[in-house]
Amino acid sequence: MATQTKFDTQDKHRFLLNMGPQHPATHGVLRVVLEMDGEYTMGIDPILGYGHRMQEKMGESKVWPGFYPNTGRMDYVGAMPFNHGYVALIERMAGVTVPERAEYIRVITSELNRISSHLLGIGAYVLDLGAFTPILYAFDDREDILDALEDITGSRLTYCYYRAGGVSKDIDDTFIRRTRAFIENFRTRIPMYNDLVTNNIIFIKRTKDVGIITADMARRYGATGPVLRGSGIAYDIRKSEPYSVYSQFDFDIPTGENGDSLDRYNVRIHEMEQSLRIIEQALDKLPDGPVYEKPKKVKLQPGDCSFSVETARGALTYYLVGDGSETPYKLKIRVPSFSNLSLLREMCEGMLIADLVSAMGSLDLVIPEIDR
Amino acid sequence: MSLTQELISTLTAMQVEAGETDYSKCGYHIGVHLKDDQVRNFAQAMLEKGFYLDFVTAIHVTPQFQIVYQFAKFEEACRVNAKALALDDGSIPTISDIYHGADWHERETHDFYGVSFTGHQDLRTLLLCDEDSDLKPLLKKEEKLLSIEGITRKAVENKDTKAEKTEKTNHSPEQE
Repeated sequence: MATQTKFDTQDKHRFLLNMGPQHPATHGVLRVVLEMDGEYTMGIDPILGYGHRMQEKMGESKVWPGFYPNTGRMDYVGAMPFNHGYVALIERMAGVTVPERAEYIRVITSELNRISSHLLGIGAYVLDLGAFTPILYAFDDREDILDALEDITGSRLTYCYYRAGGVSKDIDDTFIRRTRAFIENFRTRIPMYNDLVTNNIIFIKRTKDVGIITADMARRYGATGPVLRGSGIAYDIRKSEPYSVYSQFDFDIPTGENGDSLDRYNVRIHEMEQSLRIIEQALDKLPDGPVYEKPKKVKLQPGDCSFSVETARGALTYYLVGDGSETPYKLKIRVPSFSNLSLLREMCEGMLIADLVSAMGSLDLVIPEIDR
Repeated sequence: MSLTQELISTLTAMQVEAGETDYSKCGYHIGVHLKDDQVRNFAQAMLEKGFYLDFVTAIHVTPQFQIVYQFAKFEEACRVNAKALALDDGSIPTISDIYHGADWHERETHDFYGVSFTGHQDLRTLLLCDEDSDLKPLLKKEEKLLSIEGITRKAVENKDTKAEKTEKTNHSPEQE
């Protein structure tokens, strides 16, 4: 969080505009300093760190199981894959095996969480553009997921459900019944979202050709997730480096064509449909058996280990260096929105400020995840 | 020739030390060790090969900081982990003009460790506030600081010593 900004406005026509830290369109405490020429943004300087908690230091100062709750508190909208990355990293380092039923439960809960995250992302995005109603429908559907997940995990958002060696609690018939009912219900709701938002002329005018990200730009900045897939690159860690039991399911990677805000929105809509497919297959194939096998005492052997998972916002990498003790010597958390936001300057320079709000919203940022 | 082998031979031709690693154990396909003057050429080569930057970070060890760069590829599964030793004064050349995404990663590493990236245009604090810019929160206390050997993966030990070791730990009282 730098207090000095980069701009020195010698030109008296230009002025500085503070967007945030408390601004409804930044979805959290992000401050963007804009150098304006009338309504055009000529310079952009995002200031981060208002929600910084030094998660990585916490990771290095307690034994590895002590970091479980922290994993759910970075991306509070899509916390399940953050749980997943951490336990899978420990499992890879220590060679812990996971019961098959637990892997299926992980996939089901992660995908449910992905849908709830996309629902919030879409609802809030359309709200940024001035349409109030869709977020109420989105929250209605999201509520079904949160209730179902609350029953088995005990939390509505900041999950701490996965353990190295399984999950903390088995799912029950109520959960399965609820999830199936949700799938059925949600399939009928997607056409409604399309009528309400996707095909809405005002929405299309606000998003089409706004905030174009090219494939080359995505590569230079390390953009991942729907932000990347909107630009036509079908990169999804669930497919490219399949973890857990994702390789056993049949699903597609939706992509866009132009890399504009509309494409990123469409990718999210289609991803929810794909997640429904995955959950349905996983419920059909769900094996019986235990959901947790307590591993023997795990010491983190000297050496480094990396594990990447696909969160709702893109590629998350945990990178851990062990020193033979139970406490990580170094824990790096590479969060997707950090890299996705870093391209804001190049994407939005010279834009109308109203378009900047549209382009920034389409990145689906979660600020506490960026600040860690 | 697979991508992994092709990349290794390209890097070896640049006199960079690169080798295949066991993905199931360490989570990346290629491990690279760099000298500080090779960092920029290496990054340029990675960009030309179409890799994206996963992250940049540092590890505080003696005698020098170890700077870690991780890359991956959109088109196929190939994750590359490169480690470079910083110079004695804790500096290393920047790659932020090659990979623009490295800009923030380097600023963050500067915040947390005080590593200075020479040639970086804008090393203001990123996540820490200005008053805490001298804090360097991820530096290890002296009693906890290890040498590079202490955090390096042991070469595959022969099975006897490994079995002996597990036996030993099994019997240790702290296990219970």
